Amino acid sequence: MSTTLERPALDTPRKVPTSKDTGTLLKGQKRAGWALLTPALLHSAVFIVIPVVAVLVLSLTNYSFGDTWSWVGFGNYADLARDVDFLASLWHTVLYAIVVIPISMAIALAVAVGLNQKIRGLGFFRTAFYIPTVTATVAIATIWLWIYNPGSGLANGFLGLFGFAPNRWLADPATALPSLMVVGIWQGLGTKIIIYLAALQGVSRDLLESADLDGASRWQRFVNVTWPSLGPVQFFVLITSIVGTFQVFDLVYVMTRGGPGSDTRVLVLDIYQNAFQDLKLGYASAETVIMMIVIAAFIGVGRLLQRADTND
Amino acid sequence: MTSAALPSTGTSVSRRPSSLRPGRIALYVVLIVGALLMIVPFLWMLLTSFKSDLEVQQFNWLPGELRWHNFVEAMQSAPFLRYFRNSLFIAVGETAFTLVVCTMAGYALAKAPIRGGKSLLNYFIVLLLVPFQIILVPLFMIVKSIPLFGGNNIIGHGGIGWLNSWWGLIIPLGAAPLFTFLARQFYVSLPDELAQAARVDGLSEFGIFLRIMTPLIKPALITIAVFQIEAAWNGFLWPLMITTSDEMRPLQLGLAIFSQNPAEIQWPYLMAGTALATLPMIVLFVFAQKRFVEGMANVGIKG
Repeated sequence: MSTTLERPALDTPRKVPTSKDTGTLLKGQKRAGWALLTPALLHSAVFIVIPVVAVLVLSLTNYSFGDTWSWVGFGNYADLARDVDFLASLWHTVLYAIVVIPISMAIALAVAVGLNQKIRGLGFFRTAFYIPTVTATVAIATIWLWIYNPGSGLANGFLGLFGFAPNRWLADPATALPSLMVVGIWQGLGTKIIIYLAALQGVSRDLLESADLDGASRWQRFVNVTWPSLGPVQFFVLITSIVGTFQVFDLVYVMTRGGPGSDTRVLVLDIYQNAFQDLKLGYASAETVIMMIVIAAFIGVGRLLQRADTND
Repeated sequence: MTSAALPSTGTSVSRRPSSLRPGRIALYVVLIVGALLMIVPFLWMLLTSFKSDLEVQQFNWLPGELRWHNFVEAMQSAPFLRYFRNSLFIAVGETAFTLVVCTMAGYALAKAPIRGGKSLLNYFIVLLLVPFQIILVPLFMIVKSIPLFGGNNIIGHGGIGWLNSWWGLIIPLGAAPLFTFLARQFYVSLPDELAQAARVDGLSEFGIFLRIMTPLIKPALITIAVFQIEAAWNGFLWPLMITTSDEMRPLQLGLAIFSQNPAEIQWPYLMAGTALATLPMIVLFVFAQKRFVEGMANVGIKG
């Protein structure tokens, strides 16, 4: 790359001022900057900012695609408090999050610590754990639908080898939601493992070695050196997991459609059906607002936990 | 590089080669069992796709013979080929759109001397946290009322806008703020002197962006492309909401429709279709593994 600083500025007057005057040069740079930014600003305004505001406004109306609609104040919210389908969906989603998040984070961290031990075949293991994550959830759900098949699926077939009685899995109210949770945990491991693995490689080697010289056991080193330095990454993984688990939809839509009864009904499925099958857009928007609040509450609790952890 | 001392010191004094110590062996056993748990469902999918209808009536591992024609028949029993083409079109379109919009914005955020640049960056970071499910309902309405499309008038009334159109499938979910942020992170690390030298040479600002700076962040472009292709290929809820005709349905939607009638599901065909739907992404991952891993790590640790 030869920089020809001494060459006089070529007189090709495009939209850039040829003048060496830094003022006009700066102006040109500013103008170009705004021009480059405009598409992204426009796109995000139309497809993200306006919808976020709109969902708040819509939640106070009874809008349903027709031309006539009216303000209903907090009427939608009052109705939601009595809507058994919504309450069941909220409960299942919260339960799903509470079970799936800690278990998948713990397993992912354990696997990442294992993979961080200078082992052979790292590429193979990384690929194996990550493949479920790059695969479409619909495809995952289809495969597990077949695994959970009560008649000749893998789950009953495999457990049968150890003498377990066949289970009806997705068709049994007692096991339907836990069966979905297993798939959720299974699919979500890859991303978390890779993030943890990257973070583990950033843990100070000096600290670990001096702890080692001081006679700290492997467990003590993990608790006192590794764990504290994972703080920010833990929080990132936690937030993305919260947002991810509250969004669970594809899995439920393909595997159970919320059944049996409404035993696996989750929030996004309920929102989807209220909005696009019953055309109650205002109502579905109120539901969305509740979901936002619950997600925010979860993140808040996560933050408190993290603070308590680092203050120890 | 992990220190070699770290694993070998925990279990006291045994001086055998590290690969033979019981701790090591246990570690390998656990990891291999874990990896098998990840892979076996896919293996089960593949094995099933070769079986006959009779063979899937009862649990067994291996198909009697490799029935390759299952794949052909699966392709014929549903318009999989068309779904496949649709998914490909959406993935390519969305990725091209994302690359153009996000590199432009990322560059401006990183290098342009605009007032409020910092708050603009924060704006994109905040948006990056908005989950798609939150804006589901209004997004549908906005896409329905895009002016002058799908029979709409100038104020967006009267027609269906971008519903059931390629525009609607590609544009709204493209150019995610995450990718703008990611691009910005890479541009920021390029030295300003490069742009300055090109400026002295009389290159336009846009030329500097396009011909000097952007070629230097090729790894970022590949990372963005890989993530966007994956997201577009695997998308389900949005196409489910806005497509009404089979003409435009992507693969995941076709697959879901195919599996919706439990009584009549022909598992070998369904698994053959699923295998065809998952294969491209697995291949993409194996080839672009480094980019996936680096991208995830970058977002996770810097983000």
